[in-house]
Amino acid sequence: MPTERRLPWLFLTLLLAVLALAGWQWRGAAPLSADLMTLVPGATQDALVQRAEQRMQEPLNREMLVLVGHPERDRAIALARQLADSWSASGLFEKVQWSVQADLDAVRQQLLQGRLAMLSQADRNTLIAQPHTFIEQRVQRLYDSFAGVSLVPSQEDWLGLTGLIQNSQPRPAAVQLDTASGALIAEADGQQWVLLRARTHSNAFDMHLPLQVADLLSQARLQADQSGARLLAASGLLYAANGQRQASQEITWVGGGATVGILLLLLLAFRRLRVLLAFMPVLVGMLFGATACVALFGQMHVMTLVLGSSLIGVAVDYPLHYLSKSWSLRPWHSWPALKLTLPGLSLSLATSCIGYLALAFTPFPALTQIAIFSAAGLLGAYLSATCLLPALLKGIDLQPAQWPLAVAQWLVDRREGLLRKVGSPLLLALLVVFCVAGLWRLDSRNDIRQWVASPPQLQEEAQAVARITGYQPTSQFYLVRGADQTQLLERMQALDTRLDALIAQGTLKGYMALDRLVASQAEQQRLRESLKQLPAHWQPLLALGVTPQALAGELAQLQALPPLDIDQALSGPLSEPWRALWLGADQHGVAAIVSLQGLSDASLLRAQADGLEGVQLIDRLGDLNQVFSATQLSAAELKLLSCVLIVLLLILPFGLGGALRIVALPLLAALCSLASLAWLGQPLTLFSLFGLLLVTAISVDYAILMHEQIGGAAVSLLGTLLAATTTWLSFGLLAVSSTPAVSNFGLAVSLGLFFSFLLAPWAASRPAKECP
Amino acid sequence: MSTLWRSLLLVGLMSACGLAQAFGLADLSRQLGEAPVVKGAFIQEKHLRALPQPLVSKGHFVLTREHGLLWLLQTPVQQDVRLNANGIARRDAGRWQMLPGSAAGTQQNKLFFAVLQGDSSGLQRDFELNLQGSAEHWQLRLTPRSLLLKQIFTQINIDGGRFVERIELRETQGDSTLLRMPESTRADSLTETEQRDFAD
Repeated sequence: MPTERRLPWLFLTLLLAVLALAGWQWRGAAPLSADLMTLVPGATQDALVQRAEQRMQEPLNREMLVLVGHPERDRAIALARQLADSWSASGLFEKVQWSVQADLDAVRQQLLQGRLAMLSQADRNTLIAQPHTFIEQRVQRLYDSFAGVSLVPSQEDWLGLTGLIQNSQPRPAAVQLDTASGALIAEADGQQWVLLRARTHSNAFDMHLPLQVADLLSQARLQADQSGARLLAASGLLYAANGQRQASQEITWVGGGATVGILLLLLLAFRRLRVLLAFMPVLVGMLFGATACVALFGQMHVMTLVLGSSLIGVAVDYPLHYLSKSWSLRPWHSWPALKLTLPGLSLSLATSCIGYLALAFTPFPALTQIAIFSAAGLLGAYLSATCLLPALLKGIDLQPAQWPLAVAQWLVDRREGLLRKVGSPLLLALLVVFCVAGLWRLDSRNDIRQWVASPPQLQEEAQAVARITGYQPTSQFYLVRGADQTQLLERMQALDTRLDALIAQGTLKGYMALDRLVASQAEQQRLRESLKQLPAHWQPLLALGVTPQALAGELAQLQALPPLDIDQALSGPLSEPWRALWLGADQHGVAAIVSLQGLSDASLLRAQADGLEGVQLIDRLGDLNQVFSATQLSAAELKLLSCVLIVLLLILPFGLGGALRIVALPLLAALCSLASLAWLGQPLTLFSLFGLLLVTAISVDYAILMHEQIGGAAVSLLGTLLAATTTWLSFGLLAVSSTPAVSNFGLAVSLGLFFSFLLAPWAASRPAKECP
Repeated sequence: MSTLWRSLLLVGLMSACGLAQAFGLADLSRQLGEAPVVKGAFIQEKHLRALPQPLVSKGHFVLTREHGLLWLLQTPVQQDVRLNANGIARRDAGRWQMLPGSAAGTQQNKLFFAVLQGDSSGLQRDFELNLQGSAEHWQLRLTPRSLLLKQIFTQINIDGGRFVERIELRETQGDSTLLRMPESTRADSLTETEQRDFAD
């Protein structure tokens, strides 16, 4: 027949085109991404919030904090120095820093210039309200043996303002400077820990970088072990490296396991080597899926690839549909067998696509990607199974093994035996009791952390680094906005008051806000005004021998100091830790970040922003978890909607009754799975729900197969069993994933498949009528 | 300026050092570390470049091997300071208050704490040590090694015999501090008051 000859060539042309496109897409770096944040809904459209989030995320994704520990300080320092040298030479890092070499002259300059602007609020208030006390305290400090070294000599700063500013600078908790080497050192657990900071050229989502950094680190660990030292490291890069390794491992396991299992099944059932060609639609499906994904999104997330590898089991169902007809159709010829099953195949494609594409309408880029990948993949598999594969299998003499049919027949007999004794209504009632009791116990849990497999070793090290250095950044922060800098700093001050109270309670460790670095211009002016009253109080200084001229000169100099704005205050060397907080000006005004230290209760933090205008707590993870819960509802709605669509589609071939029956069974199977999750003590997560959404789509297929009854009950059941087994081989293997979200998905789908298979025989209307 | 150094030096000299000489650093260290308690009066002169007269203050100190240092300034202002392994505390209305950021290991102000936070065993790491003289009359000269310290001190000179008698700190800025402890005596135990001061 001409179509039979033309179709394979048409399809081959299409395949070549797709191959060419894929080749072009993968020409340079692999268009893969490991950035978790591209998978979750963009919580905000606010550009400023996005910028602030990026600012806070950046160090996590580009910096690695390493502690080199040895009981002897010099050994630890030598090792850190050696490590820094070899890392600098590696070319991966923009900066590797293990020592501080301060330019004291620049610091002096900044302190002198900032005498009015950078004075802390408390010191400012003393100077303004109690000038007499202020001078007395200054005299005491001059005599004080332990006031510390002031960088600015006293004759340049008789009032001692620079010393006060020095003292009010924040000091990250447990790190000290080793003056001999300039190394930053923390002491803990009987070890001297040298702090090493490495900043990479690109970020963690460059696919190669994390692995390279992780390799470099393990080399360094070996080296450290040899010299009796210990290394502790914390970085988002290490999590990324781990995630990538794990993803590729899981793709290998899930993909490889499913492939081997399916090939084995094909061989065992059909006993012909050539039948292995039935795997070709799987490969074509993966190709189409990946290509569509990259074409639409510019890149593909590794998680899509992991979940997408489960497509193998669904894609192979298409050839299985007509291959399994070889049990009833003798002799079996590829094209006629296809023709017989084509309507069913097409319906199956349509229903599966509806199920997958329903995922695309959730607000989750992750699921949109998976949906597109799967829908395109299924289309590719369908096309290759209908256009190319029959030509390849032409003339094959299929002699399928009889034992699978015997198994199926045995199952059918068992079922009928059972139905004769118990009857469908009673079974249904039992099932309903099972479901209701299970659903009653079901609890739902959602946390973005389920999306990441956090190996305990990485977590322990990160915690150790936080404990030893006292540096414990939180993912939450405040975004403060103001019409101008004065308003911004005032708003921060209001927030500071509340945060100080939290620190006093012990619920918060610390925070950094720009108003702690620089006073608003209005405050600076107030301080400048109050300087006029000083001559009335500076007698104690004169008594020391300071000349009136010197003091008057200093006062005149102070009054002439230009006011500093935030940008100017941030330019000096002392301001380095503050710079990341400043977001600058845009058309709406100015904005800055207030960063937090030490984990605290997010709801408590949120409450602190209440009633403060322009202050907003940014808690991306908390927000996401809420979005997750909200999405569960919309996912359930989508599921129902997709069912309605499928019913509409099926009315045409099967009539309303048949369509309803075919759709009701998968829904019931989904309910049973939910209940089983509860009985197994597993929570309902967004992912298990999505898994069930998928199962509905896939298992409609089984119901159709059983409803059509082509070749008899046993043959249909065998077809269903084969399809369910292959699908389960791929999805079920996802359950072993160490990423909780993925394994949860796998478990839900496995349960769903099991119940779908169990319930599918009721789709056949005739036996059901005969039985009761 | 910071006379913290002198106390650190005392502590340091009691424990550090180890070069062999006629009268070597090890001998000096042993000599100074022998007495469990040393006490006496001190006179501090701060020579500020811009002042015609030095700022003179007086008080007395108690240095112990086990508990650290009590530094009691009496004139012209009164101020009690205690230095031990936990950091520096100042007596305020009868109660010892830890100076923020001075506790061992919590100091970071990059430039500042460099100087505040010398550790006893680190003296040789930070300074070049030059010892001359005999057990009865010796001079120790400390020259900073690191760039950071060179920006703060040019030299520290310590003279003494049985005990440390004189410490001079010369700052890069031109100011200097002279500390004299002319009549230190050895004691075997602390008085009750001193014990209380170290205890809480």
